[in-house]
Amino acid sequence: MSEGDLRVFAGYDRDFTEEADAVVVGSGPGGAIVAGELTRAGYRVVLVEEGPPFTPGDYEVDGGLSMARTLREGGLRTTVGTVMPTMQAVALGGGSLVNSAICNRAPEFVLDRWCEDFDLSDTHLSDLDPHYDAVAETIGISPTPEAVQGRRNLLFRDGCDALGFSSEPIARNVRGCRGSGECFTGCRSRAKQSMDITTVPAALRGGATVLTSARVEAVETSGDRAIGVMGRIVAPFTGRPSHRFRVRARAVVLAAGCMATPVLLQKSGGIANRSGQVGRNLQFHPGVGVMGIFPDRVEPQFGATQGYQSREFLEAGFKLETLWAPPALLAVRLPGSGLDLKRRLADVPYSAVWDAIASCDRSLGRVEARRSGFDPKITWRLNPDDTPILAEAVYRLAEIFFAAGARSVLCGVHGFPDEIHTLEEAEILRRRTLRPSDLVLGGNHAFCTTRMHGDPTRGVVDELGRCHDLENLWIADSGVFPRCPSVNPMWTIMALARRTALALAERL
Amino acid sequence: MMPLRGGANRRLSFRAMWGWATAAALGALGAWGCARIFVGYPPPSGSPQALRRRELATLAAVAEALFPPGGEIPPSGSDAGIAAYVDRLVAASQPRQRQLMRALFFLIEHGTLAFPAPGGLSGLRRFSGLDASQREAVLDAWQHSGWFVRRLVFTSLRALCTLGYFADPTVLRRLRLAPYAIDTPVCEADLRYPRIGAAASSIPYTADDLTPPSDGAPIDLDGPWMAGFAEDAD
Repeated sequence: MSEGDLRVFAGYDRDFTEEADAVVVGSGPGGAIVAGELTRAGYRVVLVEEGPPFTPGDYEVDGGLSMARTLREGGLRTTVGTVMPTMQAVALGGGSLVNSAICNRAPEFVLDRWCEDFDLSDTHLSDLDPHYDAVAETIGISPTPEAVQGRRNLLFRDGCDALGFSSEPIARNVRGCRGSGECFTGCRSRAKQSMDITTVPAALRGGATVLTSARVEAVETSGDRAIGVMGRIVAPFTGRPSHRFRVRARAVVLAAGCMATPVLLQKSGGIANRSGQVGRNLQFHPGVGVMGIFPDRVEPQFGATQGYQSREFLEAGFKLETLWAPPALLAVRLPGSGLDLKRRLADVPYSAVWDAIASCDRSLGRVEARRSGFDPKITWRLNPDDTPILAEAVYRLAEIFFAAGARSVLCGVHGFPDEIHTLEEAEILRRRTLRPSDLVLGGNHAFCTTRMHGDPTRGVVDELGRCHDLENLWIADSGVFPRCPSVNPMWTIMALARRTALALAERL
Repeated sequence: MMPLRGGANRRLSFRAMWGWATAAALGALGAWGCARIFVGYPPPSGSPQALRRRELATLAAVAEALFPPGGEIPPSGSDAGIAAYVDRLVAASQPRQRQLMRALFFLIEHGTLAFPAPGGLSGLRRFSGLDASQREAVLDAWQHSGWFVRRLVFTSLRALCTLGYFADPTVLRRLRLAPYAIDTPVCEADLRYPRIGAAASSIPYTADDLTPPSDGAPIDLDGPWMAGFAEDAD
């Protein structure tokens, strides 16, 4: 197979059309895996990505500027209903460029429930394990080594040990981590095995064509078949459109993400929506962060961005994990103003931040295309019945902090003391009924907007990711999850995408 | 035309007077509103990329209230160049986000009309015209409001200012949180991708430039900081 071709914004000088066996829209974990597998099977693939490729020289270590450059809507995208920031990347490699590389297999009980509740037969853990294993080999998934955990992560382990909670080093797609804690702004050590440095180059070696700065604006159809995609070349960061392009293909794979894929279907004339489920059922893993202040310096800037986790409370609805981000992004959560705020900022070197992601599958929303532009309108509400899960998660994090020796804990809950010094003070979290707006939430894992379902009247795709309505239109991103997976989703997205790619390769 | 009777004449002139008075009052209110919004702001130092002088003045006032001089981290919000940082951030943002950020600045600057600062009539002045203690009181009220939207406005504005404060190398060095110098290996991807906006022909590497990947040696906490954050970069 001859070497493929990668095109960047400066290289486009006219409108153009490409021909391919398959066009894949989106180069994040789902799309890159599909492109890689189809290329490996010998098919001619065009991978289309709206964002540019980032080189280490393009990374910004400053949190705000990095977000403005790598995330959609400059990192300021929020839901309406219950207001919550939600981040989606726009870059070659998608979210893998700026996530913390956490890899978890979906728990067995979660996949069993998916099968039971959504008429699926082959999505048990044993069905997906071969795909998980293959992905792990490709992107080097392994537990975070102790040498680069840093005190911030190890304190979490100590706290869990003291309380008898299970905990473990987080498995990540990283080779040679140095503990710089810069996962969210781009790994300057080139240790994180994001898609842009692993699967995309592999697809290029296999002959794929990769169009960057190319925004797909519609899927073209003829009868009950997709015949390709069309769109515009867009300038990096400004999104200003220029040349038009079209890709004709025998199969179309949408992997633009849980927010962009339903918008694309809606903008394409409402295709693949006989079930009425496109854009509906939106779920998140809403997250809460808690900061603990220790008596001596933690040096939290050193260590794997997210190196330790506890699955102790998974069946109770939440997972606990450690966290680091550019100091500015963590500091924005600190309470107070004036000299009081400065005092708290001075505590950052003595602090650790841990967070919880919750399985709030009663809290639903929807994604809708706006009349103009391609940014979605995202409506979502935290169901009051899910609020106690988050309150309990905050309590448990406070408990682990105090068990690890923290002198104070900042829970970040409105109507609650800014800083508490004993676990007894945290008991109020269990006694008082919180409103959703009392919590400072973040939701970066989004799911279900093109969910899989065995019944074509209740889902958009089948178990393999093929649209019920259009036989050669496939979806390979977190939108196909029928319900939130309770753990970080990247590895599962990739495992499902690999299964989709192998199924498609058989049919092409 | 029939002459108007005296009573009708009086009613008409009374109405006309009311009309004129209302128009004059609205005109005065409009003039006062325009003056409040547009007049009296100092010219910006430097050349802002996106923000107007009134927005820069609001930001400078908020920054100084959030990060006053002194305390455990010496630089103030002004020293840290928060307004200039937010200007760069707004310039790097897309139109819808710019509008949202501008709305934040406007709400804080003129929110004193609805939520005045202490101090009687002087508490109705725009935020940047208040004295330091009044600014502090206003921000405190937004921060602890029972109304979620007001808290959201405050936390959003504080987030922008905190981003700017932590972008200052002096602040980061003081806290020993500056990013470390890291030798970035050259990998296969670096042979394929040019810098953003550049042509593929500008890629500086060939296969001969490939270096071994990271060996996983933990970074040295006493090692040098990244260029631009070291003291000699000031």
